[in-house]
Amino acid sequence: MHYTTKTLLHFGAAFMSTGILTMNLSPAAFAQEVTIAFSGPELGVTSYNPVTSTLLNTANSLIYDRLVEQDADQSYYPHLATSWEESGDGMAWTFKLRAGVMFQDGTPFNAQSIADWIPDFKGTENNYLVDAIGSVEVIDDLTVKFVMTRPEPNLLYNLASTYMGVPSAAAFDRLGENYGVSEAVGTGPFKLDSFSVGLETVLVRNDDYAWASELSENQAAAYVERITFREIPDQSTAFLELKTGGVDVLLGVPTDFLEILEEEANVAVIQMPGLGIKYMPINVTVPPFDDILVRQATALAVDQESILNSVYKGVGAVANNFLISSLPAADVDPALNVSYDPARAGELLDQAGWTMGDDGIRMKDGAPLRVKLFTQNATDFKRLTQVVQAQLKEIGMDAVITVFDSSTLRDEYKRNAHQLAVREYDWNNSDILDWFFSGERLGYPNVSMWNDETGQMLNDVAMTQSATSEQRIANFKAYHEYILSQYLFAPIYQPTINIAYNSEAVILPEQIRGIRFRSQTALDMKVVE
Amino acid sequence: MSAFSFGGSADTRVQNGSGMLLRYTFRRLLMLIPVSISISVVIFMIVHLLPGDPIDNLIRVGSSPEARERLATKYGLDRPLITQYFVWMGNMFRGDFGQAIVLRRPVSDLIMQNLPFSLTLGGLAFAFSSVVGMTLGTISAVVRNPILERFVRGFILLGSTVPGFWLALLLILLFSVTLGWLPVSGAKTWSALVLPVLTIGFGGIALVARVTRVALIDVRHEDFVTLLHAKGLSRSAILFRHLLPHALVPVVTILALRIGWILGGAVTAEFVFGRPGLGSLLIRALGQRDFPVIQGSMLMLALAVMLGTLIGDILQAAMDPRIREASK
Amino acid sequence: MKARAFDALDRLGIGRAFSSSLGLVSGGFLVILIAVALTAPWITPFDYAAQQLGNSNAPPGWPHLLGTDEFGRDVLSRVIFGARTSLSVSATAIGISVTVGMTLGAAAGYIGGMFERAVMTVVDLTWSFPDILLALIFVAIIGPGLTSTMFAIAIAYLAQFTRLTRAQIVRLKRETFIEATVNLGAKPGHILIRHLLPNAIAPVIVAAMLAVGDGIILEATLGFFGLGAQPPTPSWGAMMSSGTAQLFLAPWVIIFPGLVVAMTVIAVNLFGDELIRALDIRDRLRGT
Repeated sequence: MHYTTKTLLHFGAAFMSTGILTMNLSPAAFAQEVTIAFSGPELGVTSYNPVTSTLLNTANSLIYDRLVEQDADQSYYPHLATSWEESGDGMAWTFKLRAGVMFQDGTPFNAQSIADWIPDFKGTENNYLVDAIGSVEVIDDLTVKFVMTRPEPNLLYNLASTYMGVPSAAAFDRLGENYGVSEAVGTGPFKLDSFSVGLETVLVRNDDYAWASELSENQAAAYVERITFREIPDQSTAFLELKTGGVDVLLGVPTDFLEILEEEANVAVIQMPGLGIKYMPINVTVPPFDDILVRQATALAVDQESILNSVYKGVGAVANNFLISSLPAADVDPALNVSYDPARAGELLDQAGWTMGDDGIRMKDGAPLRVKLFTQNATDFKRLTQVVQAQLKEIGMDAVITVFDSSTLRDEYKRNAHQLAVREYDWNNSDILDWFFSGERLGYPNVSMWNDETGQMLNDVAMTQSATSEQRIANFKAYHEYILSQYLFAPIYQPTINIAYNSEAVILPEQIRGIRFRSQTALDMKVVE
Repeated sequence: MSAFSFGGSADTRVQNGSGMLLRYTFRRLLMLIPVSISISVVIFMIVHLLPGDPIDNLIRVGSSPEARERLATKYGLDRPLITQYFVWMGNMFRGDFGQAIVLRRPVSDLIMQNLPFSLTLGGLAFAFSSVVGMTLGTISAVVRNPILERFVRGFILLGSTVPGFWLALLLILLFSVTLGWLPVSGAKTWSALVLPVLTIGFGGIALVARVTRVALIDVRHEDFVTLLHAKGLSRSAILFRHLLPHALVPVVTILALRIGWILGGAVTAEFVFGRPGLGSLLIRALGQRDFPVIQGSMLMLALAVMLGTLIGDILQAAMDPRIREASK
Repeated sequence: MKARAFDALDRLGIGRAFSSSLGLVSGGFLVILIAVALTAPWITPFDYAAQQLGNSNAPPGWPHLLGTDEFGRDVLSRVIFGARTSLSVSATAIGISVTVGMTLGAAAGYIGGMFERAVMTVVDLTWSFPDILLALIFVAIIGPGLTSTMFAIAIAYLAQFTRLTRAQIVRLKRETFIEATVNLGAKPGHILIRHLLPNAIAPVIVAAMLAVGDGIILEATLGFFGLGAQPPTPSWGAMMSSGTAQLFLAPWVIIFPGLVVAMTVIAVNLFGDELIRALDIRDRLRGT
């Protein structure tokens, strides 16, 4: 065996010497370049066309600017729009636009750009963003007015979305279906240089950039000349790349790696509040979960504190309802919040007729309490699901795990073949409740399969009949409380966004402004000289 | 009855060797047509047996049924399967692999983007296995040292028994994490090729070494070798000029026949090292149910395998003793 | 003739494989491994599924000899139980493969003609396509789990046994003692079952044994891709699927199952070699 190792090392060494040579010649060694790895949820973008894409990533937010920016505290800041005004009845919005802004193809940005762009959404999957905008009127070169079909208190949120990055109308019309695939033209601080789907996206600096938002320190062109975004499917590989210097910034570090990262002298971590929760939907149409007592018991069996402390090492927060804590509609009647109570769970199951059997599994009418627990084929999902499985066992429920790829999983939901599942979402707005609990979308995405009149009524009111922000909050809170009272899911955990970077290679601001790493931070990013 | 997998009948035996070989080759090339067509049918059926729908990856969670129908019509997914198949095949004959549904590009672009990575990786792994395997095989055939032979045998054994992905992980741990010599993943530099090539190539060493050894031991006792010895040629001259070229044919044959194994190893290596390539394209398309991409890349892989098998079989036929006898 | 027909199963043959020191060590290892797999529920020091979240990723030591995994589960207990899963999945899969492959191969070799060509064409296709891709697609179609893994492995190795059996039958058909039997007026079915198959079986058995080793690797690879055994059921492959970073956090969780896989497959190969030597069938395994 000794010989074996030696031979292997010899071959290794032979290759190695060539390896070192080529590495020194590689462009990554030059200054003013940064390599960034996308986070898990950002992987798989197929086009940088924000109008038609249903998945976008950080690179998109660097190519395009938005009219409005949102900060981590959910407040709004001017960007391409310098100011805005909503009419008293909510039926018109007027935006003043920034002067002197140019698209990367040399065409000017003005009110006409907006008037050309908004109608492009018609018939696309992203139409919901501009659904309430009836027409766009050009008042003067730098003033534009949205005439609304109904009040939309959520308009600023939509405008701050990365899907509402403003594209160059000239390029958009010229390229048609190919827009975003071969070329993408915005007003942002970086230009698209090359895009290999599934591999990498290379951006180069827009030297003319002089219209940064208040969220950046740097108001001129970016310091960094070139950014390579890499798609690394396996999060642990991405982590090793950061550790070994292959990438400089990691946009999403799984929480369980934080502990090891702390030991690395050259790695710094920035934590930001996350945009969603991890939870376990319960299919109400399939026994035993057609019984609300069993649903409640199941929700109470999940020990959020223990999961937070063991699986996530105390980073992040427990989830007790469906919305992230920073949303006002998350502030529900405390009695409706779900938290771990095994004793109560046991009582509820007894009451429902499920009595404890000898083997620790409850029985009713001779049948054991055995349920299906679905999860996704990814390390973090499998980990969390196995802990939940063990916790359900504690109340006498035998949950059998099946791991599916995401396409098959969706198919299972649509076939109503599921009972419990471990899932997560990323969306910092209350309208996520509509997406996951509307009776119009049973199976998927309404995995809980909940459909009743009261719920639908509350949903309609919250979605379309709120005139002001306050009303919208109150309406969503009422809908949220109703959903909680039906025990349609077990809330588990609110993750943080963890951005890790090599402090010997790049300098990032200590606090990241905005809801996530976007152009405002990329502008301030510097390469260590 | 002939020993060939496809065709071949008794009457061919009476012809001379090279004529037979030509005829065999021609026959095999002709066979490729029905085989490719049946493969395309099988691939098409497999793809449409997969649960799930590519449209789901194009639309938002809250999308309307009409939007879904519109997309299904756009990509022809609402047509009967048999029509879809003929449309696909019809386009294929014109060299059009179709348009990727989720990846929104021509499938041929995706294949051309990934193919060079697969060819480089596969080719280097092929070369690595051949060189190391033949060296070890020769040592174990020529050097009559029981201890050395045992070591070589151990090494060969190890190569065929270590799971590829596990070896890959250990290599990363040693060369990337601990020593920091080589990149963990990616395909930007040539250095990123080293570990994937080692991972795939290591598994092939065993096979090549075994074949080389057998081939060398077989020819060692043949008349012409005895003759060469008698002529006073040195042992190494005999080995390098006469014996090894003999061993090369069976080695290439066995590797050509096992091209599927190289491609399979590439899938694992591409996955672990996050490399682009046909394998990772296929895995990605499988996950997104991007039917045209799955079909296109599977067909490419199948074609590669068929060509490999064809070359291997022809080489094997060329070496068939009955053909050699017939040509005397 | 009967004695010859059963020589493959002859205890003397198997016994002879144990006679060399390599055969003894490798065979002994396999016997112990099978015993461990069979008695797994009684000999594991801990419950393989019992989580101790406070004691996760503990290095090897006492009481967890091989350390604990990310859930604080005992790695040794999981390796032992994993033997049960991995061995049974691989052995059953190869069993299916051998049965179907021998039937197809024997029929193809005996009947010949168009039938043979059709069978061999289909079978060659499955043989040449990368087994891991074949398995990935198969599992994607019928869903994850041990059963689908089993069938995926069975399909991946089907061609090998079909080809091997067919080659044996074709070779035997030409041999004089068969020709003699045919001349004596025996029925085709009788010839196939009584004379051809028993003679073809020895190489198939050895090849099957070697394939069980490959099956273990394929099972492990599928497990690594997250298919196969569903959590918390341990299999050697599934134990290694928790990502590259685990290698860094708790290498023992990945290194030990991998080592056991390698050792098992090495033992299978060594013992297979000894069997080939003992049964004197090297020539008959070649060229298939």
